[in-house]
Amino acid sequence: MFGAGAMTNSITEIREAELLFVIGSNTTEAHPIIAMEMKRAVRRGAKLIVADPRAIWLSDIADWHMQLKPGTDVALLNAMTHVIISEGLVDEDFIAKHTDGFESVVEATRETTPEWAETITSVPAETIREAARAYATTRKAGIYYTLGVTEHTHGTDNVYCLANLVLMTGHLGVRSAGMNPLRGQNNVQGANDAGASPVFYPGYQRVSDPAARAKFEQAWGVELSPDDGMNLNVMMKAMMRGEVKGMYVMGEDIVLSEPNASNIEQGLNNIEFLVVQDIFVNETIRFADVVLPAACFAEKDGVFTNSDRRVQRVRKAVDAPGQARPDWEILCDVARACGYPMPHYKDAGEVYAEFSGLCGQFAGISHERIDEQGGLQWPCPDAEHPGTVTLHGDGPIKGHAPFQATVYRPSKELPDDEYPLLLSTGRTLYHYNAATQTRRSSGAVARQPENFIEMHRKDARKRGLADGQRVRVVSRRGAVLARVNISPRMRFGCVWMPLHFGDANTNYLTNDAGDPVTQTAEYKVCAVRVETVDDEASAAQ
Amino acid sequence: MNTKIETAETKLELEIDGEQVEVRPGATVLEAARELGVEIPVLCHDDRVDPAGCCRMCLVEIEGQRRLQPACTFKASPGMEVKTKTERVARHRRGLLSLYKADHRLDERGRPVSRGVHDKLADHIDTYGTGPELPPVNAPRASRSDENPYIQFDPDACVVCGLCVRYCDEVEAVSAITLFGRGASTTIGTADQRSLLDTSCELCGGCIAVCPTGAMTEKPSLDQPSEQIVRTTCNFCGVGCQLDLHVATVAAPKGPSQTVSQDLGAERSEVVGPQARVSETMKRVVRVTSPEPGTTVNDGNLCVKGRFSYEFIHHEERLTEPLIRGEDGELHPASWADAIARVAEGLHGVKQRYGADALGFVSSSRCTGEENYLMQKLSRAAFGTNNCHQCAAT
Repeated sequence: MFGAGAMTNSITEIREAELLFVIGSNTTEAHPIIAMEMKRAVRRGAKLIVADPRAIWLSDIADWHMQLKPGTDVALLNAMTHVIISEGLVDEDFIAKHTDGFESVVEATRETTPEWAETITSVPAETIREAARAYATTRKAGIYYTLGVTEHTHGTDNVYCLANLVLMTGHLGVRSAGMNPLRGQNNVQGANDAGASPVFYPGYQRVSDPAARAKFEQAWGVELSPDDGMNLNVMMKAMMRGEVKGMYVMGEDIVLSEPNASNIEQGLNNIEFLVVQDIFVNETIRFADVVLPAACFAEKDGVFTNSDRRVQRVRKAVDAPGQARPDWEILCDVARACGYPMPHYKDAGEVYAEFSGLCGQFAGISHERIDEQGGLQWPCPDAEHPGTVTLHGDGPIKGHAPFQATVYRPSKELPDDEYPLLLSTGRTLYHYNAATQTRRSSGAVARQPENFIEMHRKDARKRGLADGQRVRVVSRRGAVLARVNISPRMRFGCVWMPLHFGDANTNYLTNDAGDPVTQTAEYKVCAVRVETVDDEASAAQ
Repeated sequence: MNTKIETAETKLELEIDGEQVEVRPGATVLEAARELGVEIPVLCHDDRVDPAGCCRMCLVEIEGQRRLQPACTFKASPGMEVKTKTERVARHRRGLLSLYKADHRLDERGRPVSRGVHDKLADHIDTYGTGPELPPVNAPRASRSDENPYIQFDPDACVVCGLCVRYCDEVEAVSAITLFGRGASTTIGTADQRSLLDTSCELCGGCIAVCPTGAMTEKPSLDQPSEQIVRTTCNFCGVGCQLDLHVATVAAPKGPSQTVSQDLGAERSEVVGPQARVSETMKRVVRVTSPEPGTTVNDGNLCVKGRFSYEFIHHEERLTEPLIRGEDGELHPASWADAIARVAEGLHGVKQRYGADALGFVSSSRCTGEENYLMQKLSRAAFGTNNCHQCAAT
């Protein structure tokens, strides 16, 4: 956002924070160890602001819980901005020295009063005021967010709003403050760093930049395409239209994980060639032409990069079962079979050395160094550099960080008479993503054996539903079965479902409408209705 | 936690066993002793929770104090003189360890039982010795059967130091377990002695990690010693917790996975019974622990997934051989050579017929950095398309 796509601060700084603003992150369930640090900070006296449509665990210990309607984040955040500006709580020095375009935000938030936001978000105006004041007037105040912020058709706007708050209060380059997206997967950060992106080569060097292209053409000894590629959401839609004809899918269950699953399945039926490389049979394998068995994390060497840019080692502990092999070895063999002279790397460390040699910010990191010193946080430009704990210590990396004015837009699909409930999706503590690993775990199964739908007591009563009853949840795109879980965490009119269950895939329901900038799909808001089912029939199914 | 503000004017000086040491105001005698490298034994202490001073293992002599004082709670003050190696302290330790031993499950050699894990009580007995043999206490204690799949509690191996309860309150902050009962019958329990599955417990297993005596242990690897420990990074969320994978050689069972049926408790598996044919052994991950507190990003903590969701590694449903879809529409086992040749042929065919941009490469945020680098290199260098992305567009 300010020149690097990563947490600006470090996990270990959380415990010293004076204020935590947690938005769109059910941290205790999705990032339990970061939540422990947050609980520790609160025990030490830090204030906690939680913005979440659900009364998540953290809201129990929060000083302010802003239980907004799903998808109204921009209204809420612009109202906070309005309060900070109108009460003169901005950091004028920081704005003058390090930012551009503050006036556009002043202009855009002139009318976005807390009273106006209350009518949209249903968060009391006074709560918005208090939270905004506390955030602006506390020095070590950090923002922590995850997919509750980004998985919207206005996800980018949400992020802009948060960045505006950080910049106007000067909460950047300060310990325990900053803007901190918590990464959902072990190696999201590392995959992006390594260039698994349609627009970036490794190390965030743009495909569209001729100099970068020339560098990689030289390194890899081939001519490279100058055109940006398709991101995953676009790729899926191109596949449904028949424009993508062949796919190589490594370590992802796209049927279970991508929104609007029935369209994905249709697309996969139509493509001519599909390779799936994974550790378990998954939903996508039903469509595969070739299946390659891979080693899991305990059976191979390499690195993962965590949320706070820390590159850490993965080490082989046991042999892979049967003929399964590490993904990196398979990829090398495939490349060579395809006629590309991939070097014969003797181990993963050599692959890492090739990668880090092409990217300045990783140049000082190597397997050997991590083995000696433990994890290293990038940027780490040379072998003497100790790594970087807090980014932007001397002002934004970019030089001047731009403010971005935003305007509240409702989500793409809102409840109506036919589909009266607003569905959000998410993760639970016990399961993980497509649950290929955790569904094979006895504790997770004992706790949460099957898909469920959390709803408010009044919504259940209105439909005559009892706790534990089987229902069919229907959206414009599909239907799945789930058990009712009447929960005091829910808002009236809103329901919530986990995304972990292959046999009752919540992503048959979700909307693949994407954010205009990132194309990230709107997993967090779609309209559904709930129908009762004959329990006998569903049990037999 | 242990961050000390290194400014000269805020330091105070004291003496431990005749040596001078400087510490920050508010530091405890235990912290000061560690600064000097003076060993003071503890059972109930952990840096992540507030000191409680309840196990009495860390009592030391302090000049001017009539009684021995707990080093973990007693604050250092300027000019204080502490003695940790006097006969009075040694006598206290022996007496205390005798008391603990009299109220503890012992093995056939008369030592505290160890359930395949490190046991601080046994260590202390080895180091400091015991006093006179005392008659066993045999206090009646509430026991509870708990069908939770992970956490096992043995009240007779518990010294009731309460560290697990404090960790559950202060660090995990779910307060699922509590001290239960009175007097000599005090033990660790839950509200109404319910199963952990029916409490606020999040099965993080922190109680196991902090337990000094192995009274709290892991059900799946009960009494299983580990042969090798491999430090690695957790493969679930983006926190990047460091894990120690404990590897041991165990019998490779044929047939259905023993772990699942065993842990659910419904049908305690017969697979490991006397009839089980132990034809082969294999190295398996038998336990996952966190590195010591204060050394890595997770500070000694783990969640339910990191600590316990390792069963998948050795699950019988793992893919173990390459498969190719045949004419009959089914997937059939194939050799690596054939499978890779088929992949090359299939991808090349698509590129020839429709161009490189009709191919899509989906990499994975679950795989390593090196693997993501190679996947995008395959896409860009071998096929000439930038259609390469991974599942997390956050």
